Amino acid sequence: MEKTKQFRRLLLFLFGLCIALQANAQEKTITGKVTSKADGMALPGVNVIVKGSRTGTSTDFDGNYSITVNTSKAVLSFSYVGYTTRDVPLSGANTINVALEEDLAALEEVVVVGYGARKKSDITGAVSSVKSEELNAFPVLNAEQALQGRAAGVVVQSNNGGEPGAPISIQIRGNTSISASSAPLIVVDGFVGATMPQPNDIQSMEVLKDASATAIYGSRGANGVVLVTTKKGKKGRLTVEVNSNYSVQNTTNKLDLLNADEFGAYQRAINSDYVQGAADTDWQDLLYRSGSTQNHQFSFSGGSDKINFYASTTYFNQEGVIINSEFERLSFLSNVDAQVSDKLKLGVNLFGSRGNRDGVPTQTRGGRVTGGGDDVVSSVFRFAPDRGVQDVNGVNTLNSVGEDIDNPFAVATEGVNERKTDNYRANLYANYDILENLTFKTTFGYSTVNQTEGDYRPSTLTATAGGNPGGRATIDNFKRTNILSENYLTYKTTLGQGDLTVLAGYSYQKNTTQRFSTGAEGFVSDSFSFFNLGGGVNPLRPTSNFSESEIQSQFGRINYDYDDKYLLTATLRRDGASNFAENEKYAIFPSGAFAWRVSNEDFLKDSDKISNLKLRLSYGVTGNQAIAPFQSLGTFGSIFTPIAGGNAANVQPERIANPNLKWESSFQTNVGIDLGLFNNKISLSLDYYNIDTKDLIMEDSSQSEFLGFLDPTSLRNVGEVNNRGFEITLNTRNISTKDFTWTTDINWATNKNEFVRLLDGEDFFPPSAAPAFFNVNDNTHILREGEPIGQFWGFEYRGVYQGGDLPEGTAVLTGNDIAPGDQLFTDLPDEDGERDGQINSNDQQIIGDPNPDWTMGITNTFTYKNFDLNIFFQGVFGGDIMNLTNVLLFNGDSNARRAVLNAWTPTNTNTDIPRAAIRGKEITSRFVEDGSYVRLKNLALGYTLPSDVAKKIGLQSARVSVSGQNLLTFTDYSGLDPEVSFGVVGQNNTTAASTTQGFDFGNYPTVRSVTFGINLKF
Amino acid sequence: MKLSYKYLVLMMSILVFGCSDLEEDPVSQLSPDGLFNSVERIEIAANAAFGNMTHEDFWGRKTSLALMLRSDMVAIGDPTTSRRRIDHDDFNVLADNGMIPDNWRRSYQSIAAANQAIAGAELVDVPDEVKNPITARAYFARAFMYFHLVRQFGEIPYLDEPIATLDEGRTIGKTSVAQVYENIISDLEFARTWLPNTQRARSIPAKSAAHSYLALVYLTMGEYQMAYDEAKGVIDNEGAYELGLEADFQNLFNSGAIDSSREPIFALDYIGMTDGDEGRDYQPALTGLRDDQQYGIGGGWSVAVPSLEVFNTWDGRDYRKAVSLDTTGVFNITNPDTEAVTQELRPFTVFRSSGRGRGVDRPHIAKYTRFTGATAANNGRGSQHNYSMMRYAEVLLIAAEALNEVQPGAAEAHGYVNRVRARARSGNGSNFPADVSGLSQNDFRDMVLEERKWELAFEFKRWYDIARRRLGSEVFSASGLEGAKPNFDPNQDYLLPLPAMELARNSNLEPNNPGY
Repeated sequence: MEKTKQFRRLLLFLFGLCIALQANAQEKTITGKVTSKADGMALPGVNVIVKGSRTGTSTDFDGNYSITVNTSKAVLSFSYVGYTTRDVPLSGANTINVALEEDLAALEEVVVVGYGARKKSDITGAVSSVKSEELNAFPVLNAEQALQGRAAGVVVQSNNGGEPGAPISIQIRGNTSISASSAPLIVVDGFVGATMPQPNDIQSMEVLKDASATAIYGSRGANGVVLVTTKKGKKGRLTVEVNSNYSVQNTTNKLDLLNADEFGAYQRAINSDYVQGAADTDWQDLLYRSGSTQNHQFSFSGGSDKINFYASTTYFNQEGVIINSEFERLSFLSNVDAQVSDKLKLGVNLFGSRGNRDGVPTQTRGGRVTGGGDDVVSSVFRFAPDRGVQDVNGVNTLNSVGEDIDNPFAVATEGVNERKTDNYRANLYANYDILENLTFKTTFGYSTVNQTEGDYRPSTLTATAGGNPGGRATIDNFKRTNILSENYLTYKTTLGQGDLTVLAGYSYQKNTTQRFSTGAEGFVSDSFSFFNLGGGVNPLRPTSNFSESEIQSQFGRINYDYDDKYLLTATLRRDGASNFAENEKYAIFPSGAFAWRVSNEDFLKDSDKISNLKLRLSYGVTGNQAIAPFQSLGTFGSIFTPIAGGNAANVQPERIANPNLKWESSFQTNVGIDLGLFNNKISLSLDYYNIDTKDLIMEDSSQSEFLGFLDPTSLRNVGEVNNRGFEITLNTRNISTKDFTWTTDINWATNKNEFVRLLDGEDFFPPSAAPAFFNVNDNTHILREGEPIGQFWGFEYRGVYQGGDLPEGTAVLTGNDIAPGDQLFTDLPDEDGERDGQINSNDQQIIGDPNPDWTMGITNTFTYKNFDLNIFFQGVFGGDIMNLTNVLLFNGDSNARRAVLNAWTPTNTNTDIPRAAIRGKEITSRFVEDGSYVRLKNLALGYTLPSDVAKKIGLQSARVSVSGQNLLTFTDYSGLDPEVSFGVVGQNNTTAASTTQGFDFGNYPTVRSVTFGINLKF
Repeated sequence: MKLSYKYLVLMMSILVFGCSDLEEDPVSQLSPDGLFNSVERIEIAANAAFGNMTHEDFWGRKTSLALMLRSDMVAIGDPTTSRRRIDHDDFNVLADNGMIPDNWRRSYQSIAAANQAIAGAELVDVPDEVKNPITARAYFARAFMYFHLVRQFGEIPYLDEPIATLDEGRTIGKTSVAQVYENIISDLEFARTWLPNTQRARSIPAKSAAHSYLALVYLTMGEYQMAYDEAKGVIDNEGAYELGLEADFQNLFNSGAIDSSREPIFALDYIGMTDGDEGRDYQPALTGLRDDQQYGIGGGWSVAVPSLEVFNTWDGRDYRKAVSLDTTGVFNITNPDTEAVTQELRPFTVFRSSGRGRGVDRPHIAKYTRFTGATAANNGRGSQHNYSMMRYAEVLLIAAEALNEVQPGAAEAHGYVNRVRARARSGNGSNFPADVSGLSQNDFRDMVLEERKWELAFEFKRWYDIARRRLGSEVFSASGLEGAKPNFDPNQDYLLPLPAMELARNSNLEPNNPGY
């Protein structure tokens, strides 16, 4: 005991606080029962405290309590989540029974914010909250996906259509960065930078959007923050829950391609000697199948006065709609919280998963593997329909036109690509009440991701890995560990008519990543797969690397709520990050916000129309430090150097040091209004924001290449980008009767982004987004001052040349002889207004904008007695798509869309499609399409067993549901699916490259599924 | 009491992670500090200069292909190939041509490596006799790269030491052509002084390499006496340098035979293994015939294909023609009835229709497809070819050409040409090309340039010959091998544009070359 006191004194000393407390003893025991006023049911777990003291207890399972007080003038305070707190003076009674009223005003979700939680009504920033019911309205592959369309300003997209195990990217309020990541920070139960848990294990997700909410995360807050809270056990009876669902999946769409005879005729129009094969293969039919997913979750949870726990395990399995692609994952989660003493609470959060993905090549860029790529999805379209899978000699066929590519069936069935990912996380916390209103919390967490990807291309894929001996095996491994320690004090007090909360803390985090890859070619047997690299004749050059980054921070926040009318939040974070340069290790990120709850003013207080009106204003600075470590250092490197028959050791200057590389800083303003009408039957939130991201980090192109560094594009702070937008969230409870309810949730968002400053006004061209075998590897996207990020760059198509003089202002591609039926393009005049009569790089211009004008989601939920129906539409409007697939399917050396049957001929001149010929694969406006779409994302019908029936069969509750995903899509886009993502997969498959969006090529098809689900609680 | 250790843990977590200086320690990356402490380190730094030469950006494709296409012998085959290539063939190049920046960057990366080796050598405290023979490799590499740059771009930035800060780099402007040549000569003289007579492989420059390049540099400058003197110096040292003409011309383009040949003087020796585009050549793919099955590399891309007139004007008796060109290909032909696939030999007149429609009906270059050795990727990419940057036959022709300018019609000059011709004849026992004798200065000059054209055909020398002798107006006229090239402008096209982006980055490089 002595030690404890000493230690407490030490702590008090440390925090500069020294308060002595004395208490008088004059004891008396009060008992009673707490019930809900609405239905008279007992309320377990209600907090009962003696006001102004530290004495407290809570009600048991039957709502009973017993508390000892030391003065008869004491006031007992009864509080319970979702109910209005009641204070009852003792007035001499020994038994006090209380009926608590449901707190409607605060339908009061508590919203998790960084390092704490606030009542929703007290929030000053722009925060979207997504609850468990919404996340689980229909089965999703992972929790990120469940956010899609649920929160205004949050864009969620699969990095590869419906591919089993494909990562999902999230973007909040536009592209704030171009070189650093635009992905938000994910915080799970306080663990910064964690992997998402399973959707069924999530209690709530909060999306923090403005600086007021995110500045507490300082240099990692600029892209927004997603806070995830997992489920915890509740005091009371043990709950065992089983969730199972099974879905059947199919592709949403098939492309209309030529059959063998049409293809033969089309090819003969190009090359009169073309020999049509005898087969008639529909490669789409051959490769697509009916897929399925199944997800089974088992959890149990419960708690007592001192301890509560939640444990769950989930098995997920997906058979993709393309043959031989599948993914399975087993994961577990457990949360245990223990009230060790009056003052000390300890908890641990454990998470683990093993994912196993068997894949087929999609979205490949083609350069490394073979001249024409080995992408299964695009090969399905490109491959000649007059060829079978194997020729008469039993050899896999190659395409009969264009580049050598292996047929997609062989690639999908004979190649092996296996990725195993292990993910573990442990996070411990201790919460200590130093004083009644001063709490210290410390967390210590550790997470690790270990991923191994093995790939084998057998020698039977002659274009990919043929040779004698052939076959290619590679193994890549990476391991990332993350250690986090956070320590903070929270102090709550009343100051005048207001409540003051002060938070101050310190945090340290370290990331290390190790990576290696190796491989070999030339195997005598294909049966080794990638498990016998030593059996290969030619070893591939092995590589490995190591990187480490640290971040340490001090942070603080003050909330002051004056009279429930005026809310003030001020935060400050000072971050130091090792990634940044010698002179720029530290930076400070402040923010401030003010909210006015107009509805609590006297003149509105009693309004029967306006039940809630809040105005919000915030401004702050957040940062983005998401760049790879070691980028600011001067380094030496080496390249493969064949000399005298071998690879010679060598070294040369790789990168020039930049001692001034620093954070991107986002200066964010947010103005919002929350309006609740008619007892919150209608609630509306409007937000306008403006984000100026300065010191934008870009690969510096101002460094002269003649300086000779191996990497002439080291990172520098060279630009400024502006994002501004408007978000609307509208929730209406249209009908609410005993048996029937109807609610509608609408969110709508628009974002406009623009380069305010870029280099010295120079255009910047990111590396080509087209696959290598397109041979157009010059420029496909442009970054230009005054324009949005990542505009398409190419020639403007002007239709088909009909013979005679060229139409004014048009020309054909240089080097081509002009013949009727060829493509015409705009010939742009030079500075002197002269046109050179040729189409060359001077004639490239902006031909499309992939950034959508606005996005929306509409959910209608109906309940009738025990039935519920959820209809969720999602839409994206105004973004352009560059249909790279069509570039190939119209250029003559692959199979083609049926539209080529309407190609120009001397007798069919009224057409937009040039004559049949083999053409280059230029980026032109001919293949830019409107990517707008509206999609019926989910339609779900559920039935919950009446509770008395459930009880009879020994259940707490039971629910069955049937739902359909992606059932309908309305779009003019002619490609497979308007949710495109070619080339946006960045490093580690997680971040999206914002500069090269909107290209469609080889995406795994998006799937349509019908799902049956059952949920049982025991 | 018993809970107290828990508080300790809490305190520990604060203290353990209490402070970090946030310094980065990039273990997996190399830092310049303390690197140069031995002669071996100088060699390692010099090696990088040669590694860059073999990159796709330079000899692997970008530089070599541009040189080939700009000549009067090689034209675009597949018209759907990328535009930036077609623009070189047609003299439509603009300042933002996509091939030039890679070529430019890689050249300077090689130079930066050489500069680093030369600067590093000064930190190595050993006698000159010990370190200079190694450092001289870097001098040679630097001269070799600047010689390419000055011929392609004219006035260029000349850097001869490592750059430490960006500000330092921003003040650099262009150096005059004369000064660049002066520096090249000075570097080559250092190399000729210090390099050993021979090396263990021809991919490492020996004294012969520096010596021969001095001859070519002087020839390019029109300093014929000096060119002759240097070439003669090489010829006089034929024995000491272990040089000679390869008996069978074909062996020069046979990756299995070239390593033991005495003819290459300095070569880029690809080894059939690459790291991506590092150390990867694309000539077999670029020059190979589409859909051709005869070499087991899956055919080429028919990008760089000689014009038909090359075939028509080249005497059929010349063995070098048979080595240089393929007039037939082997195609997989599908029988429409049985679907059986058979391989059939087809003449060049039906190349396009025998394959998948992107071939072209002209003989293709055979020098790089016939004996590739092991290849790292399909289409012959990443072959085992040794590309002779300089071979002894060229030294003989330099001596002949230069001597004729200072001693018109010298018999000695005829003799050098006849050595080259005799070797050509020995290949097929024909009597072509016959020995030359008694030519006038003008006739000899025309003859020796023609001889270079056929002897060194498709070896990336022709464009430089056209440029140094200002032959463009003649060879790109209607009577030229590729027919009229109306876009050719002698006031513009002998030089490439400096990359537009480089001018934007550093205005000291303004103005661009005339016409761009």
